[in-house]
Amino acid sequence: MSRRGEGGRIAGLFEGAGAAAINVAREAGGMVMLLGSVLRALVPPSMDGRELVRNLHKMGNRSVPIVALTAFFAGALMTIQSAPFVQRLGATSLAGWAAGYAVLREIGPILIALMFSGRVGANNTAELGTMTVTEQLDGLRALAIDPVRYLIVPRVVAMIVMLVALTAIGDLVALLGGAALGKAALGIEWTTMYHSFADNLGPQDFLQGIWKSLAFGGAIAITSCHFGTTVRGGAVGVGRAVNAQVVASAVSIMLLDFFLTYMNI
Amino acid sequence: MKDAKASAGPVIEFRSVAKAFGGKPVLKDLSLAVGRGEVMFIIGTSGVGKSVTIKHLIGLLRVDAGEIWFDGQRIDQLDERGFYPVRRRVGMVFQNATLFDSMTLTENVALPLRKLGGLRMKAALEQARVRLGEVHLTEFADRYPAELSDGMRKRAAIARTLATDPEVVLFDEPTTGLDPVSARRIDRLIRELADHRGATAIVVSHDLTSIFTIADRIAFVYQGGIRALGTPAELQASPDEVVQQFIRGKSSGPMETPGF
Ligand SMILES: Nc1ncnc2c1ncn2[C@@H]1O[C@H](COP(=O)(O)OP(=O)(O)O)[C@@H](O)[C@H]1O
Ligand SMILES: [Mg+2]
Repeated sequence: MSRRGEGGRIAGLFEGAGAAAINVAREAGGMVMLLGSVLRALVPPSMDGRELVRNLHKMGNRSVPIVALTAFFAGALMTIQSAPFVQRLGATSLAGWAAGYAVLREIGPILIALMFSGRVGANNTAELGTMTVTEQLDGLRALAIDPVRYLIVPRVVAMIVMLVALTAIGDLVALLGGAALGKAALGIEWTTMYHSFADNLGPQDFLQGIWKSLAFGGAIAITSCHFGTTVRGGAVGVGRAVNAQVVASAVSIMLLDFFLTYMNI
Repeated sequence: MKDAKASAGPVIEFRSVAKAFGGKPVLKDLSLAVGRGEVMFIIGTSGVGKSVTIKHLIGLLRVDAGEIWFDGQRIDQLDERGFYPVRRRVGMVFQNATLFDSMTLTENVALPLRKLGGLRMKAALEQARVRLGEVHLTEFADRYPAELSDGMRKRAAIARTLATDPEVVLFDEPTTGLDPVSARRIDRLIRELADHRGATAIVVSHDLTSIFTIADRIAFVYQGGIRALGTPAELQASPDEVVQQFIRGKSSGPMETPGF
């Protein structure tokens, strides 16, 4: 490789990074604007009830099995990870704490949010994106119906409500998974595990996960609606938007998780 | 507003409107005034900017230069929120119907009746059926748009736009893709809107039969502006060879058709 080639590559790298940073800033700006208009549309809180119910049903209904499956194994895995210590110390009464603490505060909300983003968020971006490229959003505006009020707000509310509900369900299933594995692999009795949960886990452990899922739900909703409503360029554009949504949601979930944990909310 | 309404001036006026996309000018200097109760046809080759022109009237696009007036009010500077009152009075039927595919035809037509007309679901659905009957779609009222032909979707979109009785209706190629019988029915419907309901219609069309049966006046868009304007008889008698080439549908002539 010649020197110039290498220099060119490095310059190209910076250029690429610069362009990427501008892109990220632009998309983030768009999301903040969307959040602003969603909040504005919520005062006074009026919403199309039918759209809300339709979205709650669509987003929540078929998400339960996949969330339950994920959560069950997450709980079981946490027990497996802590098993060597529990056994070595003979501290079976702490098995529930080890599994439960991690599940309720971190693993549960994050895994469920990621599943939710991949299933519901991607679906939402694809649906709104298709509506955008086929001018259905402009069609709404032409009918003097504000797409933010009519389409976006019910989706944002439905996603937040559903992710919080799914996280609560997932938490329970994960604890069940942890207990099931404790029983099957470590021979810990159900009652021992139950008491271990009850004695060592407080409402704040559960609540921290719930606050997080509230924030994650908002992030997934805004991200997926933003990328859906700004699609350009037909079916190809819809595909690109879905990709961008999945990446952007995952990044925002991680960033939010970091800050929320750090601030100990 | 009331006074302006009573005035005899044009209900819609474009004044030297210019619009470019990514540096490529589409409209350069377009001026056109449409009178109340008039059926104005906008004709011109594909891609010349007919859809772009009418989308400005409801704020789906913004002018780069020039002014647009509606009923004595300047509207080109309104923001998105400011356009909602205009959109309640100016309806548009899009070139590609743009029905909502998650809803049946009846639900589609009922939507503006609920949201704008303030009707409850049941009353809105009932009225939607009546509206669909007017475009001969009663038997398809409970079908989803994806199950229907282009022509049926377009007719349903017309019913949806007309459901709230707008004062001005913009039709973007309403008869394109329709069979001749349906097309003539749409023509009659547009004419009746103007004659019996006093509505103003702006119709983008290539359909020479429509043009010469129901137009009050025709505006011929060419190279970013209005090349010719007049009654059907006036256009037919026009000495302009570009106009003659278009309205006679001749493949060769002086007309420049970029990209073709
Ligand atoms: N939103 C848009 N972004 C970029 N270019 C556009 C947009 N809308 C229309 N155009 C371009 O403007 C020109 C005129 O389009 P249009 O008004 O749809 O033509 P027509 O006269 O057939 O209705 C076309 O070249 C089209 O590609
Ligand atoms: Mg067009």
